[in-house]
Amino acid sequence: MERQLIQLKVNGEERDVVVSPNETLVEVLRDRLELTGTKMGCGEGACGTCTVLLDGKPVRSCLTLAVEVQGQEIVTIEGLAEGAELHPVQEAFMEHGAIQCGFCSPGMILTGKALLDENPHPTEEGVRRAISGVVCRCTGYAKIVEAIMAAADAL
Amino acid sequence: MAEGELVGQRVVRIDSRAKATGEARYTADLTLPRMLHAKVLRSPHAHARILNIDTSKAERLPGVKAVVTGKDAAGVKWGVFRYTRDQELLPAEKVRYVGEDVAAVAALDEETALEALSLIDVEYDVLPAVFDPLEAMQEGAPQIHDHVENNVNIHVPIEVGDVDRAFQEAYLVREDRFSDTEYTYCQTEPYAVLVNYDSNGNLEIWTPNASPHTKAKALSNLLKMPLAKVKVRKISTGGAFGGRSDIFPGEFIAALLAIKAGRPVKMVYTREESFTSVRQAHSMVVDLKTGVTEDGRFLANEMKVVLDGGAYSSTGPIAVSVPFLVWEETYRLHNVRFNGYRVFTNKPVRGMYRCHGRSFMGGLGMQLDMIAEELSIDPAEIRLRNALRTGETQVTGSRIISCGLTEAIEKATETSGWKEKRGKLPYSRGIGMGASGMMVGFPMGIRGGSAALLKFNEDGGCTLISGVVDNGQGNESMVVQIAADVLGMKMEDINLVSSDSEITPLDQGAYSQASTFVSGNAARGAAVDAREQILNIASDMLDATPGELDLKDGQVFVKHRPEWNVWLGKVIRKALLDNTPVVGRGSYMPKVDLRREWVSNPKGQHAGTFSFGAVVAEVEVDTETGQVRVTNVTGAHDCGFAINPMAVEGQLEGSVASGGVGASLLEEHSWDGGQMLNATMLEYKVPLSVDMPQITPIIVETVDPEGPFGAKEAGLAGSMNMFQAVGNAIYDALGVWIKEFPITPDKVLQALEEKDPES
Ligand code: FES
Ligand code: FES
Repeated sequence: MERQLIQLKVNGEERDVVVSPNETLVEVLRDRLELTGTKMGCGEGACGTCTVLLDGKPVRSCLTLAVEVQGQEIVTIEGLAEGAELHPVQEAFMEHGAIQCGFCSPGMILTGKALLDENPHPTEEGVRRAISGVVCRCTGYAKIVEAIMAAADAL
Repeated sequence: MAEGELVGQRVVRIDSRAKATGEARYTADLTLPRMLHAKVLRSPHAHARILNIDTSKAERLPGVKAVVTGKDAAGVKWGVFRYTRDQELLPAEKVRYVGEDVAAVAALDEETALEALSLIDVEYDVLPAVFDPLEAMQEGAPQIHDHVENNVNIHVPIEVGDVDRAFQEAYLVREDRFSDTEYTYCQTEPYAVLVNYDSNGNLEIWTPNASPHTKAKALSNLLKMPLAKVKVRKISTGGAFGGRSDIFPGEFIAALLAIKAGRPVKMVYTREESFTSVRQAHSMVVDLKTGVTEDGRFLANEMKVVLDGGAYSSTGPIAVSVPFLVWEETYRLHNVRFNGYRVFTNKPVRGMYRCHGRSFMGGLGMQLDMIAEELSIDPAEIRLRNALRTGETQVTGSRIISCGLTEAIEKATETSGWKEKRGKLPYSRGIGMGASGMMVGFPMGIRGGSAALLKFNEDGGCTLISGVVDNGQGNESMVVQIAADVLGMKMEDINLVSSDSEITPLDQGAYSQASTFVSGNAARGAAVDAREQILNIASDMLDATPGELDLKDGQVFVKHRPEWNVWLGKVIRKALLDNTPVVGRGSYMPKVDLRREWVSNPKGQHAGTFSFGAVVAEVEVDTETGQVRVTNVTGAHDCGFAINPMAVEGQLEGSVASGGVGASLLEEHSWDGGQMLNATMLEYKVPLSVDMPQITPIIVETVDPEGPFGAKEAGLAGSMNMFQAVGNAIYDALGVWIKEFPITPDKVLQALEEKDPES
């Protein structure tokens, strides 16, 4: 397939990458831009570990083609902290024990951030619904929900 | 902080920052210079002889750097035990399940590797296959391994007391059959492996694992390389739950390819491969016969379990023993007969899953409720009457040195409002309970212990070197918290080096809930030793006896005159000049009977200690759709002592998800013969945030006399208890017993239909 040069705006930086038209965003982020914080748990749209923010909205980067997202703001987990200053959702995940193996954490944290940007005071039910597309096999979700609620209070 | 002040605190885990920022590295994230990408060709047949493999076209494809088949594997067989060596990790003669490894290619990129696979021609002679363990045991069934008649892989018979007479004397005898289908770990991180082989013959391996030392030993045996040359490196692991325990074909094949190509090789499995070609949980058929006295005490117990083991042994002898073990670890048994069979079928290989056994543990708990009902005894009361207590000895000889089972049952019932709710909730809502005991470790011979080293630097900081393995449980943080407590330091001032088979001392690995008890004890020993050395050296400097000194916040001081003090860094420097550098050394070997063997000698002390728990669950059933919802869970767990209560709660909450919602209600594989039909996460349903109940975790502390600060293990009893609690709550809600797991809507509807055909 014909490769093409595209520009992606990732974590505030303009990046030039050569991709095939069928390359997914998760592949480009991980393999070409070395942003391996974005995980790939299934590659079929079911686990949510590949979640990144696209213009502030959580999307599954394994179902997104890289060529389609030129010009949009892409934020990965690496782009959330301001230098050493973590985002309040990251802080809350740490403080509340919401991270065990950590494989779901990037997707969970970004999903939590997107929720709070849209609705700074969600109900517990609302949090549960918002993260229902991201699978966690370790925590039983209790502390993740707690962390996002606590971050809402902190923000 | 003084000793005993930091442990018991809800501390932020040391690994969480890297995981919150995306910095933590998992195997698939790694890249090495000149690295190749590998893919495996898998068997489309459940049972077939390999007649010929032609790889010549694949080898000629540009970009292909190495191709391996069973011929390169030199016929070596793997087995966890000497008597279970039955798996060629890359078979030369025969394939035994759909998805088994047949050949592999390493190429410049994954697409080329995949294209090369399509150029490999394999000639098979397809053989008759068998997929049901009960059928596989019949005379005339296809024989999967030449040396194993009737496909019985392992038979564990255990008998204590006079079982037949006890049944005759029993006031009430019940017989029931419980069963379940296969399910799986479905860790969020798919299987992956990276191997680097250098010109000096060093083999480095990164792969998600529960024990780098176990993987290294197996690879050293299989590749006939000295153990010192096989280096399994530390890497973050995206969940294990028992599914990363033994050695898998992936790491062996990647090693063969890396050696052949002379370049690093990375292999990342698809989700489908992770489902079919690593490990799954056994399905089981459990026949349970129980005889009790009039007041509900066990008199005679008999259990027969048949496990579908799939094509190879894996951890078979352990897997088949677990139903018996959990039973004897929970209740006071007197006359007991156990027959456990693990049977080969032409299905993927089964391993341990969170002490598996929704059917046997759910079955035990449900049958106990049936008995309680017939005798008009409250389910909590019948458990209390049979529950083991501190100081008692289990039926095959393990003494219990601390036991909070009674307290867990009492606290779970009290907090959940059991008395007000049980039998009194409106139709379609119900409440049920479960209880269990759990081994903390098991006899593993030379691999059963752990050792740790602690070295101090001249600035007063230190590095803890421990074999401890963390698959997400918080074990790394646990050893640092323990050492920091002993040394009066902040956790961030202790750097941890862990989980590297070359650098860190032997450790039992994250198996059988043993890490806190064993690795935690070793870390504590190292810290205590270093502290003693420091106080000894400082005693000269402060003109006081070591006993008069304390160490806190980087200062050594005289306890009754704290203004007489010296900076820790200065003590370390003096130690260096005196040629007595401070290196703490600790180790721990659990007090188990090393003669105990799974099959040949199942008696004697099985584990150093045991943990206990009880759960009360409430459910709500939609009688139109058959859908069961777990609404509330109160889980009490005797963890000995909670080093980090937040981590203990997290383990319990996780078990409610995997055991109580996933395994009890949702998770199973469906098959067409040997072909798995739902090897995707779209079709294999796992619990999501919206499926979860409100959870009230209760920590019961019994302060174990052997455990570090009294700690044992965190939360595994949760899943074992949830199977029972959910099954019993459904009975309370609907008046039907559903004896097959998972309890899916169709089974609920069918049970309702059978109970009341009119409805
Ligand atoms: S990897 Fe994208 S949803 Fe699983
Ligand atoms: S922390 Fe392991 S999957 Fe969520």
